[in-house]
Amino acid sequence: MAGGGEGSSEADNLEAIIARIEHKSRKIESLLKQSRPVEALKTALEGSPLNTGDERCKSANWIVVHRAIMAIKDDDGMFSLLDPEYYDILMKYLYRGLATGDRPTCDQCLRIHERLTERAGLGCILRSLADTVNTV
Amino acid sequence: MAAVSIHQFAQCITCHAWSPDQTMVAICPNNNEVHIYKLMQEKWEKIHILRKHDQIISGIDWSAKSNKIVTVSHDRNSYVWNQESSEWEPTLVILRLNRAALCVQWSPQENKFAVGSGAKTVCICYYEQENNWWVSKLIRKKHNSSVTSVAWHPNNILLATTSTDGKCRVFTTFIRGVDSRGSGTGLPYDSKFGEQIMQLDLSSSWAFAVRWSPSGSTLAYAGHNSMIYFVDEVGPSPSAQSVSFRDLPLRDVLFVSEKMVIGVGFDCNPLLFMADDMGTWSFVRFLDERKITPLNSKYGSQLLESFTVNQNME
Repeated sequence: MAGGGEGSSEADNLEAIIARIEHKSRKIESLLKQSRPVEALKTALEGSPLNTGDERCKSANWIVVHRAIMAIKDDDGMFSLLDPEYYDILMKYLYRGLATGDRPTCDQCLRIHERLTERAGLGCILRSLADTVNTV
Repeated sequence: MAAVSIHQFAQCITCHAWSPDQTMVAICPNNNEVHIYKLMQEKWEKIHILRKHDQIISGIDWSAKSNKIVTVSHDRNSYVWNQESSEWEPTLVILRLNRAALCVQWSPQENKFAVGSGAKTVCICYYEQENNWWVSKLIRKKHNSSVTSVAWHPNNILLATTSTDGKCRVFTTFIRGVDSRGSGTGLPYDSKFGEQIMQLDLSSSWAFAVRWSPSGSTLAYAGHNSMIYFVDEVGPSPSAQSVSFRDLPLRDVLFVSEKMVIGVGFDCNPLLFMADDMGTWSFVRFLDERKITPLNSKYGSQLLESFTVNQNME
């Protein structure tokens, strides 16, 4: 975040990010209506990283991802459709979920976390901790 | 495949090096001494203790042709040990560091050695005949953090480093009077000392264990985020592959051939990586047998194991 001269472009950037999140949100809602929760989760995890420290953007994005994570009921079904390239970023969002302290969210994240760790190993956790590219 | 033989030399070994004929091994038992063991009648006997350093020894290398041992230590100095009659005679090398030395390696021609340090610098040391003295020349202001490993290209000029700033770098180390110009390297950049050829910023965490393949055409290094990186076409436009694996991070790697790499680290079990015909690297399997642990305690015990290794390392 540089000095005052970049203030306006920074605001434009934030608007663009919010627009992207809204678009993502609509897509996820429509996939959930069609009972395709894994597709919805993939959509939530996809897309260019936020690349911003702005808390409003981060929480707006989290609400969308949270919606998709909470819609997962069948873990085996999810893993049969979710490619390994999503594992690291999913793990990072699970830790975000566990950090909320909200009971249903933690229950859901902890259950998926156990299954994901079985599948992707401790290396996945390390990569999600060390990741500096994706802001969650 | 299980281990062929197991021998416990010490509670903890900070570094080690094999003699050229592999009949002896020099280890540091986590103190300021080097112990040399020799295999005699199927038993390892301690035959020498090298005492000169003041603090923990962090790196040992044993040169293959000239039979010299170089040691570096947290005391910021280095010794080159020469075997005269039956004793090992030390020569002090003043590295001119203000932080601990962390790793050392002889160059392929054994006329230079490189030391990585906690002072964000690399020392290139070479022998000056006229002064009967080892000189240390520093590569400064290139690393943003400690240099965790150094590796010489077979051409004796290029040196690769990894650092806790997450980057892997390659430098030229041409020294007038030691290296002859255009000494068969075929490289356009063997002129200036300390020039950076390449910098890779692939790991977002600490980088360790840089090694060249036997021909020097591939470079491998490990990230502390359970990744291993393979780099081809080292130069202005390198091509790199990042391979993630499911277990704990690596601490050292070894090229067995151009297409085969063994990585060792916090999982207490060597990992085998191989390149296919297309040159794509992937994890193949563990070398040792996996320990079977009850399902419920699985993660806990692995974490505990890794914690023990971590302690030993420090």
